[in-house]
Amino acid sequence: MNKGGIEGGSYQPLTQSEIRMLHKASMKVFEEVGMEVHDKRALEIFANAGADVDFGAKRVRASESWIMNIVSKAPSEVTLCGRDEKNDLVLGGKRVYLGTGGTALNVLDLESGQRRPSVLADVRNTARLVDALENIHFFVLPVYPSDLQKQNVDVNRFFAGLSNTTKHVMGGVYTKEGVRKVVRMAETIMGGREALRKRPIISMITNIMSPLKMDATYTDLMLTVIEEGLPLATPPAPIAGATSPVTLAGTIVQLNVEALSGLLLAQIVNPGMPTLYSAVPTTADMRTMGFLFSAVENGIMNAAVAQLAQYYNLPLYATAGVSESKIPDVQSGYEKMSTSMLAALAGANYIHDAAGLIESGLSVAYEQYVLDDEINGMVLRAVRGLEVTEETLSLDVIKRVGPGGNYVADDQTYQYMRTEFFLPRVADRSPYAVWEKNGMIDGREKARQIARDILAKHSPAPVDWAVIETLKSEIPELITE
Amino acid sequence: MGKYFEEISQNVITAKQDKVKELTQQAIDDGVDPVEIINSGFIPGMNVVGIRFKAGDMFVPEVLMSARAMAAGMDLVKPLLLGREVPSRGKVVLGTVKGDLHDIGKNLVGMMLESAGYTVINLGVDVPATKFLQAVKDSKPDILGMSALLTTTMLGMKDVIELLKEEGVREQVKVIIGGAPISKEFADKIGADGYAPDAGSTTELCHNLIAR
Repeated sequence: MNKGGIEGGSYQPLTQSEIRMLHKASMKVFEEVGMEVHDKRALEIFANAGADVDFGAKRVRASESWIMNIVSKAPSEVTLCGRDEKNDLVLGGKRVYLGTGGTALNVLDLESGQRRPSVLADVRNTARLVDALENIHFFVLPVYPSDLQKQNVDVNRFFAGLSNTTKHVMGGVYTKEGVRKVVRMAETIMGGREALRKRPIISMITNIMSPLKMDATYTDLMLTVIEEGLPLATPPAPIAGATSPVTLAGTIVQLNVEALSGLLLAQIVNPGMPTLYSAVPTTADMRTMGFLFSAVENGIMNAAVAQLAQYYNLPLYATAGVSESKIPDVQSGYEKMSTSMLAALAGANYIHDAAGLIESGLSVAYEQYVLDDEINGMVLRAVRGLEVTEETLSLDVIKRVGPGGNYVADDQTYQYMRTEFFLPRVADRSPYAVWEKNGMIDGREKARQIARDILAKHSPAPVDWAVIETLKSEIPELITE
Repeated sequence: MGKYFEEISQNVITAKQDKVKELTQQAIDDGVDPVEIINSGFIPGMNVVGIRFKAGDMFVPEVLMSARAMAAGMDLVKPLLLGREVPSRGKVVLGTVKGDLHDIGKNLVGMMLESAGYTVINLGVDVPATKFLQAVKDSKPDILGMSALLTTTMLGMKDVIELLKEEGVREQVKVIIGGAPISKEFADKIGADGYAPDAGSTTELCHNLIAR
């Protein structure tokens, strides 16, 4: 019942005319201000395709009709595959999926509770944990392995993810060579170049800088992924009041220009390739100008962006379910729930960062994945809403039971009891005496116990050993365990 | 003959009422001892149900459906016992105390106990102390269970226990109490023998009290 892909869309913070106002304003920014692009190749690509390019100022400006013509080439549906087909994500429309995000630098150790630098083993273990949690639908590589040298990070991070979960693996990338190696590795796992293009079990993230900038390093990496033709997210992360206007509407106007830029570059070079309209709208605490990943306003903006993506008929990479809290606690609970709920109810497709992350995305905690699995389950149940049919109106049942009776052992109760309600496994619903007898533990401790239990017992379907042998000979720096 | 028992048990567990009836009838026609059908077919099935319920794998409505399937089989067996007693784990009298009209929790306890093999006599709601006393004298239950939802009515439980003492029958019955405001401390204070925090754990409480 909590599989991803349920249709959202009941929460719509924008009216249709407001959506058009945001769109028109973005088009004016594109035409009058434009994007600053710090990559000569990208500037030439934009110029050759007919945009107005000022090479001296590295500025790309474009008209609405030119932009919308290229946007129309982008697919309205993108399928991100898992090693196991049952984990495939069909992104588009108002279908909702939630998954992890990255890239954090620290982990709260499951045993000691201490914050320490993340290592490659944490990528493996979080992947294995996520593989067993049904309300986390995909795996964005969550942490940076501090025990590896930069040139070995890409391929080893992706391998650690791919070999420990059969869910889709997406990740940020660090070097061009790394991108290519990751793609070759995934081709070997899938049995060839075309097989991977047909069932992309990996996808990549390359960033756009706010305000209105495509930088040299990321744009170069972006073009490398575009040439490979694998699914791509190109998120900008404007901070309202710092790197974008303080108003939520103004931030979305600017974000829209930035988000479309990456998509435009991809569709010019490789028309029809799988791209996601990507958005990480954020805010700052006005008291300190400190960055915020989980303010309720972030949730509202993600919901509005979902409406924009639906207006453009593009699959959306959205952002919710993070926390500013340093530990899994009350704050992490309400911050995650509020932002995930808003984005999901709006029908955002690929809600990343919605598992494991705390400390504004700088750390992950193992038990937080278990807690977020539960939050996501509740969110998906809310997205599903309630079904009103002749049968669910239950007239016959009400007549059958009558005044003073009970519904406990009625056939209809039996029929619906496992599907009508979301059943949490962390939340304690027992009476006081039972809770007391079970050690008076709180949700965080319960989640720790569940995480330990999964890590002790769960072994995901492995990558074929013969494939691993081949990979080892092709990629000497690959760390297989 | 043993071939029926395993299958009857399985169908009790999966609450296949029609199948339980069919198999029970076949066993009867084959000359299987009716008491054996209960002891080796129905009860082992319900024991599994109890274990799965405790583990959280089966839900309350499923337990009750299993009990209903067993009861359908029991209806076929009972007339053949010819005066022999239906095997029972024990007899329980239940009621909601005077002034209190809440009965869903108490009824749920009753259904759960029946499904675990107890004979349950349900006195209903707003039961005065004298009626509890009469039931203890007449039905001679192993256990008397009292329920209250209100802090104002829960004190009536103490009156019942005092009355049982005055009439000299307190020692012949175990008294258990339950309901949202009830705690172990309250149960100890008024001299009850046991308390269960929810319907599901009442069964185990009764098992333990009777085994003593």
